[in-house]
Amino acid sequence: MDANTLIFGSMAVISLAIFFYLGRFKASSKQTDRDDRIDWTKRSFSLWKIFFYSLVLVGGIVLVLEFI
Amino acid sequence: MSNHKALNMFGRSGNPALKADTFSQSARGTSSSGGIQSMASGTMTLQGTVNKTGILLALVVLSATYTWNLFFDSGDAGAVMPLAIGGAIVGFIFALITIFKKQWAGTTAPIYALAEGLFLGAISAIFEAQYPGIVIQAVGLTLGTLASLLFLYKTGIVKPTENFRLMVTSATMGIGLLYLVSMLMNMFGSGGVGFIHSNGLFGIGFSLFVVAIAALNLVLDFDFIEQGSEMGAPKYMEWFGAFSLMVTLIWLYLEMLRLLAKLRSR
Repeated sequence: MDANTLIFGSMAVISLAIFFYLGRFKASSKQTDRDDRIDWTKRSFSLWKIFFYSLVLVGGIVLVLEFI
Repeated sequence: MSNHKALNMFGRSGNPALKADTFSQSARGTSSSGGIQSMASGTMTLQGTVNKTGILLALVVLSATYTWNLFFDSGDAGAVMPLAIGGAIVGFIFALITIFKKQWAGTTAPIYALAEGLFLGAISAIFEAQYPGIVIQAVGLTLGTLASLLFLYKTGIVKPTENFRLMVTSATMGIGLLYLVSMLMNMFGSGGVGFIHSNGLFGIGFSLFVVAIAALNLVLDFDFIEQGSEMGAPKYMEWFGAFSLMVTLIWLYLEMLRLLAKLRSR
């Protein structure tokens, strides 16, 4: 087994173990007791707003490309 | 509110959102003092979602192994391409069904995982043949990102807010638009958006940006699952939460693969 497989393979196994262990626990109160949590019961922004922002992002990337 | 009416309201939601009223009659996510969620029957729990994510991951690996072996046994990309393309199409169809019919997630999410596995196995084998060792790197980095962000989320270091959600969703949609435009340009023979596939500095920078956005989507998935279990969402939402996580993980893995391939090809 080469070093690449050993290093990244161990990383994968350890990460999976962390995920399956940590995933069972509730998040800390620092995370859950906040006023600015996402409210998943409603959509705070319209799809048009999201679409507009995404167009701004694409436009920005194209502009950067033009100047490079 | 009747359960039926609640489910209808929930089903009409255009995003992976939970309707508060849907869960008003359900038990609140009960947690012991240690913080481990109990397996209350009938409601979504963290443990249940984690278990189902494990099942979906195993299914992806199972079907990916098939196309991976098929490629290395035949040594011909043509032998796996029909399965890869078929898997991608079937996966896409079942992803749409899962999004619009969340109640069916228990059936559609495993089918999605099996179909995507066929696609991932073939693509991974093709990348591995070109750049030996790249797949284990992409797998390690993807799962490393998953574990790191879960830790940052659980400890409250990363705190998703509505603005965070707007930013990540918009960026994700922007990337989707860019890929769509590139694909359409390719279909009409104009070569697509060049920098997306280039191994130049801008191409690598773009890939890094996409990897970062895909990783931030994980935080949204964690928050959605956490709130679903807190609010006592219906049991099938465990499958839906696991499915959401799987979609993001598969995207993140593919972007990692692409980024590593760009770096290796320089």
